[in-house]
Amino acid sequence: MKKSLPRLDSKFIVIAISVLLLMYFIVFPLLVLIYDSFFVNGVLDISNYREVYGKAVNWKSLTNTVQLAFIVMIASVIVTFPMAWLVGRTDLPFKKTFRTILVASYMIPPYVGAIAWVQLLNPSVGYLNNIFKAVFGLSQAPFNIYSMGGLAWVLTLFYSPFAFITISRAMEKMDPTLEEAARISGASPLRTLKDVTLPLMMPSIVAGGLLVFIAAASCFGIPAIVGMPGNIEVMTTRIVTFVYQGDSAGIRNATALAVSMMVIANGLLFFMSYLLSHKDYTTISGKSTRPNIVELGKWKPLALLIVGGYAFIAVILPLGSIVMTSFLVSMSKGVELSNFGIDAWIPVITSAQYMESIWRSVVYGVIAACIGTALALFVAYLSVKTKITGRSLPDLLVVLGGATPSIVISLALIITFSGNYGLNIYSTMWILIVSYLVKYMTMSVRTIAASLSQVHSSLEEAALNSGASWIRTCKDIIIPLIAPSIVAGWFLIFMPSFYELTMSNLLYGADTKTIGVLLYELQTYADTQNASVLSVIILVIVLVGNLILNKATKGKVSI
Amino acid sequence: MSGVKLEHIYKRFGKVTAVGDFNLEVKDGEFVSFLGPSGCGKTTTLRMIAGFEKPTEGSITIGDTVMSDAAKGFFMAPEKRGVGMVFQSYAVWPHMNVIDNVAYPLKIQKVPKEERLKRVMNILEVVHLKEYAERLPNQLSGGQQQRVALARALVAEPGLLLLDEPLSNLDAKLRESMRFEISGLQKKLGITVIYVTHDQSEAMTMSDRIVVMSMGKVQQIGKPVDVYSHPANQMVADFVGLVNFIPSEVRGDGKVYLENTDISFPNEKNLSGKVVLAVRPENISLHKDHGMIEGLLHHHFYLGDSIDYRVQVKGHFIRVIVKGAEFGKFKDGDKVFLDFDKVLTFPQQ
Repeated sequence: MKKSLPRLDSKFIVIAISVLLLMYFIVFPLLVLIYDSFFVNGVLDISNYREVYGKAVNWKSLTNTVQLAFIVMIASVIVTFPMAWLVGRTDLPFKKTFRTILVASYMIPPYVGAIAWVQLLNPSVGYLNNIFKAVFGLSQAPFNIYSMGGLAWVLTLFYSPFAFITISRAMEKMDPTLEEAARISGASPLRTLKDVTLPLMMPSIVAGGLLVFIAAASCFGIPAIVGMPGNIEVMTTRIVTFVYQGDSAGIRNATALAVSMMVIANGLLFFMSYLLSHKDYTTISGKSTRPNIVELGKWKPLALLIVGGYAFIAVILPLGSIVMTSFLVSMSKGVELSNFGIDAWIPVITSAQYMESIWRSVVYGVIAACIGTALALFVAYLSVKTKITGRSLPDLLVVLGGATPSIVISLALIITFSGNYGLNIYSTMWILIVSYLVKYMTMSVRTIAASLSQVHSSLEEAALNSGASWIRTCKDIIIPLIAPSIVAGWFLIFMPSFYELTMSNLLYGADTKTIGVLLYELQTYADTQNASVLSVIILVIVLVGNLILNKATKGKVSI
Repeated sequence: MSGVKLEHIYKRFGKVTAVGDFNLEVKDGEFVSFLGPSGCGKTTTLRMIAGFEKPTEGSITIGDTVMSDAAKGFFMAPEKRGVGMVFQSYAVWPHMNVIDNVAYPLKIQKVPKEERLKRVMNILEVVHLKEYAERLPNQLSGGQQQRVALARALVAEPGLLLLDEPLSNLDAKLRESMRFEISGLQKKLGITVIYVTHDQSEAMTMSDRIVVMSMGKVQQIGKPVDVYSHPANQMVADFVGLVNFIPSEVRGDGKVYLENTDISFPNEKNLSGKVVLAVRPENISLHKDHGMIEGLLHHHFYLGDSIDYRVQVKGHFIRVIVKGAEFGKFKDGDKVFLDFDKVLTFPQQ
């Protein structure tokens, strides 16, 4: 007993430090944000709520947000359910390729997608608009991306992978004999879909839809690039406008909107996890047989056309547009062979300012990923491997951070860490890194926890029994066994941090401008070509990262 | 009630032949088991009868109706075949209670609500689940879920019931009692049953006939007693029951000799060259001072109702099971004599 005491101590100290860090950097700022939104100098004052919700423009941003998120949610579910079914349960050709393409937009930064669609469908020189005008002899552009419809379109294309991943995972997990039992009872395939498949999948469909709702409502990049030029404001852009106002009244108004957003987003997420844990039928299954592959027969060409068409529109078209624009010599000349060259690339690659931004983003991403993975390891270990009371508290705190909209996190960090409560890291790189950690650690914890739960505790006990200390056991036994998930966890923090926009945009200082912010500025100043070149560079880095991730985890994890 | 006829059934997945040239005629009210190791094609064959797999070749007839005929490109969907099926994973729908699960086939047939409820309650009484009618599947044990699946398969009174390893997820005691229940139910309803299992004692106790399968091929079709005492080949002998295989040879006088010995057995099948002699452990008797073959008792296990001995004979271990034997009669290291009763011979594979 005496000998085991120091072991317990080192474990305890490490864990206690993790918990304290999480409390200080996640919970404390959110509490400060809520407090500040209700109190001024310790006196209850909700004039900011009255002010915010008393003005039509703010109300409009709220209704716009809810309306958009709702449309995007419904559209995503309607589009992805048949897609998930076709890819998962039929003999559709090229299924694997389609699956990769359909989840690919998950790893493309949303603002890059927005830039691409602005290029394709802006009313004056959009590529697609030009094509439609030429083909149908129209005098006016048929589409205007700077509209609610355009915003919903881009948001749907970029957030439907959330629904696709959730729904297709549930579809794969479902025991196919549940459907076969309905068929043998006399139900037609359509009746089986209605009576068995849909009811069983409903919790996952709702969960996937809510994920899309939250993501669309919390998104800043797409509304900023697509909505703002058309004077369409949503809550995130409103909050940013208030913060840009630069005075304490602006910040107070921003806190009122941010707290409202936080309540909606976190409320929905907790409802969703409740739904999945209490009504997830799909996990109830015995030994499942080979999924029954439906033969499409004469419908095969049509199905191929639908899925292929969607993959083309959602991923290939926008990426193609960005890459093509980056290789245009002059934007004013249009798309012709003589106008192609690397002219736009030269100034970007030789620009010290641009290259510094890219390097900075890589460095911040690496620092965030290293700290985050180490913390994630302790949090996952604590919740999976120990029996300490409150062991899942840090896990819950990390989930809370991840579930909070980026804009809310950045506002909370501004208020808390600009010196009012001791620590002042405002406009340093550390405030950026803290924000990345708060937002992105959750995926890393999930991945590592899933892998840790596969390591039987007897392996660890055997090492302790052989005389190794707890730290030594971690180093010699646990870490080597879960190494792939640690690599995955590292990239799951690095990649989104690398191209982050929403939080960086509010938190950067004179010397800490990141690539996401730079790109956003270029796009706002209508420097489409430089924006395209930078977008291509980001995409290449993300792609390489994803390939490494895929290799390291043998295809099990990718963004 | 309906018989089943399978003619020249083949099922290929790409280049792999899962089932090759399967022929079988199941009579009205007969209980037939498909027995074999996993991957032998038994479940695939059952799923072809149900309509979940399309035969690559051959035809399937249930009752008087042709259900599928590959040559004519004819295939009837599973929901139109009117058969009942119980799945290995039970496949009880978790979002419906017991009544709704069992009533589902009748609901599809648009049976009026009152009659539906009456028939559901009747079948629930048969499977002893009446008091659980309102429960959800996650409030039931594995055995109870199994009965729900059985009731659902039987409620529409199909002529043919298909069972895919229905007992393999249950614990040993329950498995045994369910065997008697299923075969009792089958006799009571007079229904035709095709039962897939890898458990030979399930197949032996319940079946009128057993189809032994291996590597996609039918090895033997016969009554349990025939399959056990006259296995068609070495695979069947090995899979059904316990058996000792001893390398042997046919010598000039036409008799079968144990390798390197003068001990001979009659050559009933007129084999030649190298052969394998098969003898079941319970068909060997053990003596202290006389017998056909001399050996050394290497070790033994006391099993309560019997003793399981391993006897070393000319470098081979021979397993001998003696029922109700007196414990302590033989000690490890003792010289013993064996007598073989009922030996079988197979050509060497």
